[in-house]
Amino acid sequence: MDRRFFLRSGGIALASISASLAMPSFLHRAVLAQAGVVTGSRRKTLVAIFQRGAVDGLNMVIPYAERTYYDLRPTIAIPKPTSGNPDSAIDLDGFFGLHPSLSSLKSQWDKKRLAIVHAAGSPANTRSHFDAQDYMESGTPNIKSTRDGWLNRLLQSNAQKERPLFRAVSVTQMMPRVLQGRAPALAISNLANFSVRAGQASARVQGGFEEIYEQVTTDQLGGTAKETFEAINYLKKVNPAQYRPENGAAYPRSRFGNSLLQIAQLIKAGVGLEIAFTDMGGWDTHVNQGGSRGQLSNLLQQFGAGISALATDLGNRMDDVVILTMSEFGRTVRENGNRGTDHGHANAMLVVGNSVRGGKVYGAWPGLKSDQLFEGRDLALTTDFRAVFAEVAHRHLGNKNLSSVFPGYSADGSKFCGFLGQ
Amino acid sequence: MRNNRTISNRRHQKARSLVVLMSAILLAPGPVLPQRQRENRSDLSEDQRIVHLLNRIAFGARPGDIERVKAIGLRTYIEQQLSPEKISDSLAESKVKHLETLNMSTAQLYDKFPQPGQLIRELQRQGLLPQELAEVRRESGPNPNMEMQRSPAPQNAMDNEKVRRAIREYYEKNGLQPPQRIMMELQASRILRAVYSERQFQEVMVDFWTNHFNVFAGKGADRWLLTAYDRDTIRPHALGKFSDLLLATAKSPAMLFYLDNFQSVSPNMQARRGLQPRAPIFRPGAPNGRNNEMQRPQPQRARRGLNENYARELMELHTLGVDGGYTQKDVQEVARCFTGWTIIAPRGGGALQGLRGAVARQNAGTFFFNPRVHDDGEKIVLGQKIQAGGGIDDGLKVLEILANHPSTARFIATKLVVHLVADEPPAALVDRVAATYKRSGGDIREMLRTILYSAEFNSPGIYRAKIKRPFELAVSTLRTLGAETNGGPQLHRWIAQMGEPLYGFQAPTGYSDTAEIWVTTGGLLERMNFGLAIAGNRVPGTRVDLKRLVDNSESDKSETMDRLLKVILAGELSAGTRAALLKQLNDSAPSLAAPASSQMDRDTDGPRRQILRAGNVNDPVARMVGLILGSPEFQRQ
Repeated sequence: MDRRFFLRSGGIALASISASLAMPSFLHRAVLAQAGVVTGSRRKTLVAIFQRGAVDGLNMVIPYAERTYYDLRPTIAIPKPTSGNPDSAIDLDGFFGLHPSLSSLKSQWDKKRLAIVHAAGSPANTRSHFDAQDYMESGTPNIKSTRDGWLNRLLQSNAQKERPLFRAVSVTQMMPRVLQGRAPALAISNLANFSVRAGQASARVQGGFEEIYEQVTTDQLGGTAKETFEAINYLKKVNPAQYRPENGAAYPRSRFGNSLLQIAQLIKAGVGLEIAFTDMGGWDTHVNQGGSRGQLSNLLQQFGAGISALATDLGNRMDDVVILTMSEFGRTVRENGNRGTDHGHANAMLVVGNSVRGGKVYGAWPGLKSDQLFEGRDLALTTDFRAVFAEVAHRHLGNKNLSSVFPGYSADGSKFCGFLGQ
Repeated sequence: MRNNRTISNRRHQKARSLVVLMSAILLAPGPVLPQRQRENRSDLSEDQRIVHLLNRIAFGARPGDIERVKAIGLRTYIEQQLSPEKISDSLAESKVKHLETLNMSTAQLYDKFPQPGQLIRELQRQGLLPQELAEVRRESGPNPNMEMQRSPAPQNAMDNEKVRRAIREYYEKNGLQPPQRIMMELQASRILRAVYSERQFQEVMVDFWTNHFNVFAGKGADRWLLTAYDRDTIRPHALGKFSDLLLATAKSPAMLFYLDNFQSVSPNMQARRGLQPRAPIFRPGAPNGRNNEMQRPQPQRARRGLNENYARELMELHTLGVDGGYTQKDVQEVARCFTGWTIIAPRGGGALQGLRGAVARQNAGTFFFNPRVHDDGEKIVLGQKIQAGGGIDDGLKVLEILANHPSTARFIATKLVVHLVADEPPAALVDRVAATYKRSGGDIREMLRTILYSAEFNSPGIYRAKIKRPFELAVSTLRTLGAETNGGPQLHRWIAQMGEPLYGFQAPTGYSDTAEIWVTTGGLLERMNFGLAIAGNRVPGTRVDLKRLVDNSESDKSETMDRLLKVILAGELSAGTRAALLKQLNDSAPSLAAPASSQMDRDTDGPRRQILRAGNVNDPVARMVGLILGSPEFQRQ
């Protein structure tokens, strides 16, 4: 019998003693945890969003005060902030501006709840999507043999008595590399479909499976099955299909928007969600990237609207939530012959939350002059992505074992940017 | 592939035949079969040994298989399976006959299944872009990315629809088909062969080596290259010599592309020649100095140089293992040895012109050694000197060093034992398999004999102890029920949904072969749903006839159930599980609805459905079968 299952069985006894509603055990524990009864603190949640394909960070967060930016991007540059021009960059601090399609995030910036780390990324110089995603997810740049992902190691190292079923959920079809590993995590692409699907016979068939799997409680299959049925039964009560966002939040009608909506649901349900993950593709804009409008603009519009809707929907709950975005590398400073950009190096990451010291672009800016560029062509790196991840892990999720989450990297506070308070 | 074979190395072959000869002498009296030992130590019954064998060296038993193996004897069955070339396989061949891409060259695939974005750019370059396409291109530009996005970005839906329609019409008019078809057919062929082939062990080993030498279909041109990879690289060597398989993968365009070696060039080249790396002979040129738009803009073009990806994974994942005793310096040296191992027109030859172009076009996507970008200096690999001026022999020498390395023997032995025996491989068996590797010069068949005739293989502790991977589960499900299938896209989706999309693993490690990765809440749930979908005949393109399995519907309910259990699980399951099943059956009388045959063969490439339907499983026998297929017992092999 593995430890996880043992603990979970213990939890069932607790729930039945307290004789509350017919609430699943993990939920009950989660409620206790939220009330501070068990863990002594509120549950903090990290929502991690991966922009797969390498977003063009220089057009997402534009260094409009850099002349070189306009020299090197004759057709795709975003115009300097100009009042009355909806196609111009949205000024942030007199040097950087947001892409106009990210206007939905401006209010977060104004409320100092959006921080940006620019020129951040992986110290590995690979320009291969799959290598770079691999490194960003394993959290070990240049080392391929790392078996688990850094979010999973984060779960492993945060020793907790309570290990709710919905502690880590990836709202994706497959379990992403970043959450793979020993610590239990769920991959659910659609909460409403997370069920035994046998039409009218579903309940009966599920009952049959539950009885069958009760026979094998001592092994991994039995333990996993038990968790599966608990999750199904719980989600049935939550009735995800009937979810209504609050505060007028409007999620984009897309897989990405739908994923964020489901994350909001799980957070509100108080099921002990500590890490949520989802991703969005399409950022590999080699051809016809567009400027203020076009391909990248459409993607950013959806991206910003999704994050904004999540923050709006969660309202005060954003006190305990940090949204963090990442993308495997940036793109070339110079646009290519196809009005697009090729694979580059450093990139920009967004951090959103009520506890975030927002309204500021963090990280040293390396400049865009040719001698300032990495390998003569790309935005140089000034902040290792592990410093950003570690700051969130430590200051938001309270992780004290950063060396086990990021092996081979000394993630001490001196490396933190400071976008989260102590 | 033709080119692969012509560019091979005589010295290397000589060395190999010597090894073959020596191992033939060593093994002179034929395989040593410790029959007596086996019978004394094994507590498994004969039937169990057969079930076990069919689970591990086949994708499970079909109805009647156990009896067939019993009739010829275990040993004969094993030996037959080890010589697949002698087994007639007409059924499987007839099932895949209509999959036309399987027999096409990569160049033909590029011609007939072009990437829309690439095609449009090429037509535009030639000034041949039809009006309708030119319009939509101006408006939005189709997503030209060759890299498979995990989630296609829904851009402006209207534009997309317009673009799609225009492209579809152009394809139809010109006898072209979308490139998705290639991977669809390749996946279908893998399923059909695994289900129907009499050469079961061959298919099991194809699955094993495909995963060991993993290539991700989503990486650039690889989806055009994987058909040849399966046909010309993996299959011919799946039960042959490891060194031959290794060489075949090293020269395979699929691997060269996947791990970037095709663009790895000598770092000294620029210094040596004082100019930019020139195009290899067959590289599509840039006629009239125009930018060649046919090729996708290559980010690496500006900084072509040494690429270490292949060199590293070759040692870490293909041969020595991560702790196999190589250094970062070795990685660099090996990478230097493989500079110039590249691909003719790696993304297709559509834009090629002139005489050279015509030759390249015919050979697009095949292996090519380009001496002009090869680093011809001296190298030292794992302590062995490789003389300057070796050309293609440098890489061949590296492969020889690696194939003969004791770490490789151990690494391959371990992986085989994990796959065929247990997640925790018995150390003594790994030792013996590694010894067989060394003795036989890496003869895969001999290593498999060592495993199959070992006491460990038949020990009760490993019987039904290994969790099936989703592909194994899907195929064994179809086999156990004697299902009819076209291997179509719905099955691919189910296998993906359970966690193992074929050719869909991004990292070069391949899928894990141990239980903890596969036993997850989401994965287990989808396994249950898959069993229900199959039992309820809800997977288009696949049909089961449960009536045939239970044949007399008037029999007693528990008899019906026991018959099903015998078919699916050889009657072996716990009393508790049996009781739970019986309770289900007693909920209502068995009444067999006719299978929904109308759904057969109606499978198309139509729009993706959000939910993979398991469907209404009201028929008690179908429900029962679904429960048995989803039971813990059937997840094991």
